Amino acid sequence: MASFPQNLISSSTVAPEIQEDMELARKYTSQGPRYTSYPTAPQFRQDFPRDQYYAWQHNSDDQKTAPLSLYVHLPFCQNICYYCACNKIVTRDKNTTRNYLRRLEIEIDMQSQLVGNNRPVTQMHWGGGTPTYLDDAEITELMHSLASHFRLLDKGYREYSIEIDPRTIHNDTIALLKGLGFNRISLGIQDFDPRVQKAINRIQPYNRVEPLVECIRTHNFRSLSFDLIYGLPHQDRHTMAETLCKVIALRPDRIACYSYAHLPERFSSQRAIDRLSLPRPEEKLLLQQVISHGLQDAGYVHIGMDHYVMPTDELALAQQEGRLQRNFQGYSLHMADDLLGLGVSAISQMGDFYLQNERELDRYYDLIDKGEYAASRGCKLSSDDKLRRYIIMSLISDLRLDIIECNRRFGIDFARQFDRELQVLRAMEQQGLLEIGAEEVQVSDRGRPFLRNICMQFDAYLESPCGDQAPPRFSTTL
Amino acid sequence: MTVYISKSAQEEGFKACPHDYHVNCGNCRLNSICLPLALEIDDIQQLDDIIQHSKPLQKGQHLYREGDDFQSVYAVRSGSLKAYKTTDDGREQVTGFFFPGEVLGMDGISKNTHASSAKTLETSAVCEIPFTSLSKLSAQIPNLQRHFFQLMSREITEDQVLITLLSKNSADERVAALLLSISSRNARRKLSATQFRLPMSRVDIGNYLGLTVETVSRVLSRMQKMEILQVDNKEIEIVDMQGVRNMANLAN
Repeated sequence: MASFPQNLISSSTVAPEIQEDMELARKYTSQGPRYTSYPTAPQFRQDFPRDQYYAWQHNSDDQKTAPLSLYVHLPFCQNICYYCACNKIVTRDKNTTRNYLRRLEIEIDMQSQLVGNNRPVTQMHWGGGTPTYLDDAEITELMHSLASHFRLLDKGYREYSIEIDPRTIHNDTIALLKGLGFNRISLGIQDFDPRVQKAINRIQPYNRVEPLVECIRTHNFRSLSFDLIYGLPHQDRHTMAETLCKVIALRPDRIACYSYAHLPERFSSQRAIDRLSLPRPEEKLLLQQVISHGLQDAGYVHIGMDHYVMPTDELALAQQEGRLQRNFQGYSLHMADDLLGLGVSAISQMGDFYLQNERELDRYYDLIDKGEYAASRGCKLSSDDKLRRYIIMSLISDLRLDIIECNRRFGIDFARQFDRELQVLRAMEQQGLLEIGAEEVQVSDRGRPFLRNICMQFDAYLESPCGDQAPPRFSTTL
Repeated sequence: MTVYISKSAQEEGFKACPHDYHVNCGNCRLNSICLPLALEIDDIQQLDDIIQHSKPLQKGQHLYREGDDFQSVYAVRSGSLKAYKTTDDGREQVTGFFFPGEVLGMDGISKNTHASSAKTLETSAVCEIPFTSLSKLSAQIPNLQRHFFQLMSREITEDQVLITLLSKNSADERVAALLLSISSRNARRKLSATQFRLPMSRVDIGNYLGLTVETVSRVLSRMQKMEILQVDNKEIEIVDMQGVRNMANLAN
């Protein structure tokens, strides 16, 4: 197993160079969105101009040949993981999946007619919940349904990925997923420490995950991604170092780390987590440093927003070439502008619109049964939104903003229009987080952990939210 | 669950296969593997109505070709077929063999066009099961579609497991894995697991396994020398099953 930067974990005092990073982290810790969209989902409203959206879909033919990305939400889980803040339904009743699949098929049919059934599907992601809560026959059935209504590809460059729960997956299902056309797998690892796993009600020993990874490798999936979470109960620098050693030994191509936000008043399952067992803010800052240094020392590249990839991974290469995008699925290659979300609570990004499907299962069923589209909230981007989206997504994906291109594309004078924002950025420049030139803003390596804070300067809604629900408390940026 | 049809049910007007009076889904001896349905007798009749028991195919005839629209899946009744893809430089790459009771054409499921071509290795009979009819019928028989997808997922899974084995292992392991695969498929349709005839040529075997014809022949004679196999041209007898398993080096 990999050795570990001892200066991070061995002594009770923290090494000076890390002290400095932590000082910055302390300074910039604040609440903020993860910018998987702009405007962010809390800004969506029930009274968004939906007629305009459907009219646009019906009237415009030119986007009916453009590539498309699909997201399928499968909300069911067998067990509850206490930390989870996703839209999910914990059930053991297998009839629920029948009921759900029946509606999903109707929605797939309606949506394929609306958005176009001949667009090459370059990307597809099944998320949850637990997509593999479906049994093998149901997985096959759903893929068949998608293939009958959309133009799925068998080209090698397609990105068809699925989230897997290591506890319930069988090797045969891995073979099936491969046969059905998936070429990427994402495993919810979270943490390998037994005590942490017990406290979050997600017990999946390393010796269960190791053969699974071996099986995935054998079946030649193009990439394997791990999800990790920091800030979980009982985590400290030592448990994290051990978890990382195990992670590094398994050599996933991509690692996404998420910061746990303890919001028990909003997510009831989190009430099962003892607040006092959580790492203290100082320790949590250190956890992030341990992850960042540990993974980078092991050869991973930090592409931003706590996402680490092997330097040979397509994401790392794409970032250098400006072909990276960020959407509801996190980072991916930029292959399609439009993303269609299917299933309860799924979010779509279509042209100048964002739409979110009904989040309550019963109401989602009602809408589908009435023959209606399932979108219950959304927003239409104003020209100001589009400008800000361009800026935020450029920074978060490319780690740079081409000011000339931005001026050209939107007919603005960036320096004048964002004078106030630039002043804040100049303070960040002083701390080495970014460099501001006349032609571009470039995020430095040091600034990567603070991408959210940089992007937040361009978010018009932080001061004046426009959503029709009580503004959420975002997770802390770090 | 095996479906039992009494003789009287048949006399009460069961529609027989046009080519073989004795054949319909209810009394087909392959039904438990082909469509392992927990269906009522009436349901079987309905299923039988949508299945087209097509004419026998001559050796070398195509059932479907790569790029054809995916409209039906096919159950092999007798004979055998091979599936193959044409590579970019025009060569044939064999991707699978299909025996009685097995369903093929499901490679169309994820793209809605057939991803490979299927060609008979000998005179064969297939039952065509049109997908649209199956969907309609599924609305009336709730279990039907589910069972069908179960069957499909199993086929796809087994394909992948074998492909994976073949992509990794040594020549000995590959040949042994193919023999074991045929043996267990025979056993599933209540035929001998140890004595069978290989309907495909050595060329097809080599193509499928990514080995030269010479290597295939060499491995087979070596297995014969080791006294784990009896080979008489296309007739195979597995003398020492454990020996073949050891050679295949299968984890499970």
